[in-house]
Amino acid sequence: MNRKLPLFRRAFLDPWRSTLGWAAGLAAAIALYLPLFPSIGGSSQMQGMINALPPEMTKALNYDQITTGTGYTQATVFGLIGFLLMTIATVSWGAAAVAGDEESGQLELTLAHGVTRIQVALERALAMALRVVLLAVLVHVLILSLNESAHLKINPQNLFGATVMFAGLALLSGTGALFAGALTGRKAYGLAAGTAIGVLGYVFNAVGRQSSDLNWLLNLSPYHWAYGNSPVTNGADWAAAGWLWGISAGLVLLSAVALQRRDVGA
Amino acid sequence: MKQAILVEGLRKTFGRREVLHGIDFSVEPGSVFGVIGPNGAGKTTTMRCLLDIIRPNGGHIQVLGEDPRHAGPELRRRIGYLPGELFLEQRITGRRLLDHYAAISGPVKPGRIDELAERLDLDLDRHTRKLSKGNKQKLGLVQAFMHSPELLVLDEPTSGLDPLVQQEFLAMVREARDNGQTVFLSSHVLSEVQQAADEVAILRDGKIVTVATVDALRETALRHLRLAATGITADDAGALLGRVPGVGALEVLKAGDGVEVSAVLEGDIQPLVQALSTLQLTHLVLEEPDLEESVLKLYGMTGNGKRNGNGQRALEVTKGAGNE
Repeated sequence: MNRKLPLFRRAFLDPWRSTLGWAAGLAAAIALYLPLFPSIGGSSQMQGMINALPPEMTKALNYDQITTGTGYTQATVFGLIGFLLMTIATVSWGAAAVAGDEESGQLELTLAHGVTRIQVALERALAMALRVVLLAVLVHVLILSLNESAHLKINPQNLFGATVMFAGLALLSGTGALFAGALTGRKAYGLAAGTAIGVLGYVFNAVGRQSSDLNWLLNLSPYHWAYGNSPVTNGADWAAAGWLWGISAGLVLLSAVALQRRDVGA
Repeated sequence: MKQAILVEGLRKTFGRREVLHGIDFSVEPGSVFGVIGPNGAGKTTTMRCLLDIIRPNGGHIQVLGEDPRHAGPELRRRIGYLPGELFLEQRITGRRLLDHYAAISGPVKPGRIDELAERLDLDLDRHTRKLSKGNKQKLGLVQAFMHSPELLVLDEPTSGLDPLVQQEFLAMVREARDNGQTVFLSSHVLSEVQQAADEVAILRDGKIVTVATVDALRETALRHLRLAATGITADDAGALLGRVPGVGALEVLKAGDGVEVSAVLEGDIQPLVQALSTLQLTHLVLEEPDLEESVLKLYGMTGNGKRNGNGQRALEVTKGAGNE
């Protein structure tokens, strides 16, 4: 025990290839989408095209404000491709952290050493959170660097708020996957739970925006908590950020308790 | 000092199925205790209970004087554990993996990892997932032994190892015992534990069938007997040998003007030797006691004297492993 947090360091550093891979994917997506804004989103033809689309579709895709730089960034990077990539990443990490490790038979050996189960769950969750933060920082920096050249006109402070939401939203799916995995010991359940949070959140947002009768669905959508007020344009709703990060923290604690209370590898 | 391991009335249920039906045994400190039993007998479950990886439904466990359920990480630092199925799929080298396990267990003396790796002929600089099954097992053994724990819990430690490395492993176990460490190991064949263990528990269907020293097992063990003699009829030979106490599975065949006999002997040799002295022997083989077969009898898996079942194959393993 000459070094601190051995489980965290292992969970954070060993999968550096995976972290790097997701970073490259996000960077590629941003580098592909944002420079196109001046020729696509900002053009009058685009506005005409958006007007021609059924309004339901525009709402579902969050394309309502796609002709502004902030709306374009919100809809494409944060709302769609970035959200998709980050959610896939966190769900796979969350499900692997406890349940995946357990199914592959490796958790048993770790737990036979001088560690507590709570420590295993917390340090691995911390590693996941830090990887999410790292990717979010990358997204923030990349968008900021393209802000000028792509004529996005994003207020850096709002961008920061949106990035916090972006990371919190992805982390919620990841910690959901972690919790379901820690509770059941089954990676598939972890993947299902994390995916459900991401997909249902997206669908509830898309459907909930269609009519005032369905508005209540928005309250159930983490996606809507994060992006309901278009944070890239209007700045973050910090209370919602608190909910996203707070529920994630709660799920991590529940994961630790769940793992503490059951047989492993049985 | 108290027992290194004390298990009383250990019960474990998975769902509706009870897999351990109240197990009792104790392991003296500084001894080697083997538990053998067929697959599914409950060996791994018992070991996992000792490490608090799974929790018993009933009974009482003490490991190194503490209750594993509540003693926490400090107790597990004093134990070296080799799981029955070892999966090491990471893209890191053996050395880094061992460094990691060293960081979460007891302190490891400098140079100790290399020393163990050299003894077992293990390359520490290869990625663990590229290692063969045997090499992964070696890595698992190094991991269990490296911090010189007071107690070693080894689930099927020799599985996947070639005979030379098995010998090295047995030497490591003896050294550990000489250092005052306690070793608790399991196997599904006796030959693997008989050379190392002082005491053996036989586990079957979640119950301990017997706990005995290896010597005591040997006394009750079966020896195979083959002989050829001239100048006697098959009936006379059968009658003569049939009277010897402990002789069973007698088969007498006529061969030329004499007989060929095969049988098994359980117990003392002396009465047999006396009976044989009256014969004109041309050929005599009295084999090493076959512990394997006597254990299989305790398992209730095979009858006496079946020469071509599991007993025979296991016998050859026994003899092979005995050629030190």
